[in-house]
Amino acid sequence: MTHRTNNTYTFMALTLVCSLLVWALGTGPASAELTIRITEGADSAIPVAVVPFAENGGIPAGDKINSIVQDDLAMSGEFRTLSPEKMLSLPSKRSEVYYRDWRLLGQRYVLVGQLSRNGDRVEARYELLDVNREERILGESAAVSVGNMRTLAHHISDKVYEAITGVPGAFSTKLAYVTLDTAKGEPRYRLQVSDVDGKRARVRLESKEPILSPAWSPDGKKLAYVSFETGKPAIYIHELGSGNRTKVADFRGLNSAPAWSRDGRSLLLTLSKDGNAEIYRMDIQSRNLKRLTNHWSIDTEGVWDHSGEGIFFTSDRSGGPQIYHKSSETAEPRRITFGSRYNARPRPDSQGDYVYYVHQRNGGFHIARTDLSNGEETVLTRTASDESPSLAPNGRMLIYATKHSGTSVLTVISADGGAAYSLPATEGDVREPAWSPVIR
Amino acid sequence: MKLSVHQKAFAMVLSLGLVAGCSSTGETMGEDEYGSDVSAVDQDGGSTVYGGSDGSGVSASDLTEEELRAREERAEQEAMRNITTFYFDFDTAEIKAEAREVLVAHARFLENNPNQRVRLEGHADERGTKEYNLALGERRANAVERFLIVNGASRAQMETVSYGEEKPAVMGSSESAWAQNRRVELVFE
Amino acid sequence: MTGQERDVTNIGQQPWKSPVALSLLLHGLIVVVALAGWSWTTPESEPEPRSIAARLVTQQEPEPSPVVEEVDEPDRDEERKKEQQEQKRRQEAERKAAEEEKAREEARRIQQEKERKRQEEAAARERAEQKAREEEAARQKAEAEAKERARQKAEEEKRRQEEAKRRAEEERRKAEEERRKREEAERQKREEQARREAEQKRKEAERRLKEQQLEALAEEASREREAEARRQQEAAAAKAREARMMSESEKYQALIRERLSQAWYPPSSATEEMTARLQITLLPTGELQSVKLINGSGNTAFDNSAISAVKSLNRYPIPDDRDTFERYFRQFTIEFNPRRLK
Repeated sequence: MTHRTNNTYTFMALTLVCSLLVWALGTGPASAELTIRITEGADSAIPVAVVPFAENGGIPAGDKINSIVQDDLAMSGEFRTLSPEKMLSLPSKRSEVYYRDWRLLGQRYVLVGQLSRNGDRVEARYELLDVNREERILGESAAVSVGNMRTLAHHISDKVYEAITGVPGAFSTKLAYVTLDTAKGEPRYRLQVSDVDGKRARVRLESKEPILSPAWSPDGKKLAYVSFETGKPAIYIHELGSGNRTKVADFRGLNSAPAWSRDGRSLLLTLSKDGNAEIYRMDIQSRNLKRLTNHWSIDTEGVWDHSGEGIFFTSDRSGGPQIYHKSSETAEPRRITFGSRYNARPRPDSQGDYVYYVHQRNGGFHIARTDLSNGEETVLTRTASDESPSLAPNGRMLIYATKHSGTSVLTVISADGGAAYSLPATEGDVREPAWSPVIR
Repeated sequence: MKLSVHQKAFAMVLSLGLVAGCSSTGETMGEDEYGSDVSAVDQDGGSTVYGGSDGSGVSASDLTEEELRAREERAEQEAMRNITTFYFDFDTAEIKAEAREVLVAHARFLENNPNQRVRLEGHADERGTKEYNLALGERRANAVERFLIVNGASRAQMETVSYGEEKPAVMGSSESAWAQNRRVELVFE
Repeated sequence: MTGQERDVTNIGQQPWKSPVALSLLLHGLIVVVALAGWSWTTPESEPEPRSIAARLVTQQEPEPSPVVEEVDEPDRDEERKKEQQEQKRRQEAERKAAEEEKAREEARRIQQEKERKRQEEAAARERAEQKAREEEAARQKAEAEAKERARQKAEEEKRRQEEAKRRAEEERRKAEEERRKREEAERQKREEQARREAEQKRKEAERRLKEQQLEALAEEASREREAEARRQQEAAAAKAREARMMSESEKYQALIRERLSQAWYPPSSATEEMTARLQITLLPTGELQSVKLINGSGNTAFDNSAISAVKSLNRYPIPDDRDTFERYFRQFTIEFNPRRLK
C-alpha cells in the first residue's frame, strides 16, 4: 500500500511538472502573438445562391424546388438569395462550381442539385457549398412521391438552414389559422392548415360562427380550438388525420384559450363558470378540472412555460392586461411585463429565454418580447394592429396576424425582429395563426 | 322618531359615501368586486344607483299618487326599451350614466314579464387580443346582467354570451367603429 | 486691561487637573488679577507692563547708606571751617615759641663754638704726632704690600696663562664636539631626508597605484555608464520603434477587425458564450496563406462561419513596414466571440 502511495505521489509530481512545462511552453509564444477579437458580425442577412436544379425529364411542372427553397430561406429573415438571372453559371453539381465566380458575386453559399424521376417518385441530389472555404457542407439525396414536390423543397430548406445556422429548420412544419370570408353576405369562418409558406392550405372546419384560438397538440396531429358553432363558445379537440372532433369544454360562460401541455394529456382553459375568467387545467382523458387562478380580475390566455411546470398568463389584476408567470401551479403569480398598459397573450420560447406577446404602445398593437433573464423588453414589429404571435418550433421565426389595408394577413419575422415576410394573401381575413411543432 | 332621524342621517351619509365611492373609484373594478363576491353590497349599491337614475329625486310614493303620470312613464319606458345596445369605453365594463335609465326600463319590463327571456351579448372592439377581448365582452355582459337583476329582473330570464371582437357591428379600424363595437346587445327571444 | 488678558491666558495655560482646585485657583486669580488689574489700570503714564514688573521687583531691596551721607553733608563742612580757625591759632602760638627757642639756640651755639676751638688746638697737636707714627707704619706696610702684590701678580699671571691654555683646550674640544655633533646631525638629517624621500616615494607610488586603480575603476564605471546609456538609448530607440510598430499594428488591427466584422455572419445558433480561435498566416502581400482552427466553439456552424469570414477577405490590410508585418501580421490569432447579438 505504502509503495503504491509513493508511486502515486511521484506520478502526481511528475504530472504537475509536465503540465507546468506544457503550460509554460504553450503560453509563451501564444501570449506574444497578436490576437484580434471579432465581437460583431455583419448586420445583413447571409447571401445564398440557390441555383435552379437540373431536371432530367419527367419532373412535374409547377413551382420549382429552387424558388420554394429560396422563399423559405428568405422567410427566415436570415438569408438573402440571389436571383438566377444574376448567376454567371448554373451548375448542378459540385464539380461544375467555380468558387471564384460566386465569391465575386458576394455569395457565401451555393446550393446546387438535380432532380430525376424514378417511377412515381422524384429524387433530388443536392449539395450545399461554402464559397469561401471551398468545401461541401451538405450533400444528400432525397425522394418523394411525384405529388409532394413541395415537401421535398421544404425538406431541402430545413437541411440547408441547419447546415448553415446550426439550428434545425422549421420549413416542413405546418400553420393552422382561421380565415373569415364575408364576400357572400353570410360570414364563413374556416379553420385551415397549410405549409409554412401558406401553400397547400386545407380547410378543416367551416362555420358561420366564429372559430378561435387553434392550438396544436405536441405531436402535431390534433388541434384544440374554440368554436361558436352552437351559438356560444366551446372547446373542441380535432384529430387532423381522421377529422374526428370532441367537444371537451362547454361550460356556462367562457370556454376559451386552449393550450396543450407538453405531454399532450392536459389542456389549459379559460372558463368563467365560477364567476369570471379564470384559468383551469383539464385532464383530457378524465375531463377533471383544476383551477389555477383565483382572482376577481380577468385571468386568461394561459400557456405552459418551457419547463412544463409553470404557466404564463394574461391578467388585468393591476388595472390593465399584463403578462404574469407562475413558476408552478400553486406559486404566486409574478408580473413579467411593465413596459406599457397593455401586454397580453404570452408565448414563451422552448428555451426559457424569452416570452413573446402583444404589446400596446402609442395606440398601436405590436409584437414584443421580454428577455426573461433581465426583463428587457424589445418591440419586434412596426405594424400597428398586430395580434396572435406564434413561434416556430425552432424558436427562430415568429408568425403573427396584422392588418394590411383593412384586411388581416399573416406575417413571418425572425424571432429577434428581423426582416418581415408576408404570407401570400388568401381570400378574406386570415387570423389566429398557430405554428405547428415538428410533425413526426 | 329621534332614532329614525339619526338612522336616516346615518344612512344618508353612508349612501353618499357609497355614491361617492362608486363614482370616484374605478367602476370597472368595483363592479367586478360586487358581482363576483358580495351580492348584498351589490343590491345596496344598485338601489342607490336606481334612486339616482330616477332623476326626479322624489320618493316612490309619487307613483301611487297619480296614475296618469304612471301611464305616461310607462309609455316613456316602452319607447326606451327600443334601445337594446349599450356602449362602453376601451377596456372597461362600466355602464355609462345615460344607459342606466334605459336599462332600468328593461329591468322593469323583465320583472313584469317573468316568462320573457333575454340574451346578453358582450362585444369588444378589434384592438387587443382575441381571448382577452372574449373575457372583456363577457365582463360587459355580466355588468349589464347584474344591473338588470338589481333592478328587478331575474337571473333565470337571462343568458350571457361573449363574442369578443368576432362580431363587430361596424367594420373598420376607426375610433367611431371601435366605439360602436364595444357594446352589449340585449336580444329578446 | 492688557495685563488682565495676559494673566488670564497664562492661567489658562496651567495644566490643572482638579476642577475644584482649578475653580478655586481661578477665582483667586481672578480676584488677584482684578485687584492687580485695578491697581495697574491707574497709572496711565506707566510704560510697558513688563518694565513695571521689573522695576517693582528690583526696588524691593533698599540701599540706605547713600541716603544718610547725603542728608549729613552740610554739618561736616561747618566743622571743618571751625577746625581750620583753631589750627591757625595754634600755628601762630607755635611760631612765636619757635622764635624764642631760636634766640636761645644762638647763644648756646656761640658758647659751643668757643669750646670747640680750644678742643681743636689740642687735637691738632695730637694729630701731628700721630701722623708721624702713622707715616712710618704706612711706609713699612706699603713695602710689604708691594712685595705681596708682585708675588700675587706673578701667581695671577701664571694662573691666567693656565686658564687661557685650559680654555683654549676646552674651546678646541668644544669645537671638535660641535663639529662632530653637526656632522652627526647632518648625517641624521640626510638619513631622515633619505628616509622621508623614500617614504614619500613609496607613498607616491602607492598613491599612484591607488590612483591608477581608481582611474581604472572610474574608467570602468564610465565605460559601463556609457554602455548603459548606450543600452538605454538603444532600448529607447527600440521602444520607440516598437511603439511605432505597435501603433502601426493597432491601426491595421482595427482595419482587419472592421473588415472581418463585415464579413462575418454569425449563425443564429451563436451565443455569447461561443468563441472560435483561428490562427492565420499571411503572405507579405496580405493574402491569406493558411488558417487553422485552434479552439473551436463546439458549434460547427459557428466555427465554419468564422473560417468562412477569414477566408472571404481577398487581401488583408497590412502595414507597409516589413518589420511590423513580420512582428505582428505574419502570423496572428483571430478570436470570434459575439458580444452583441442581433
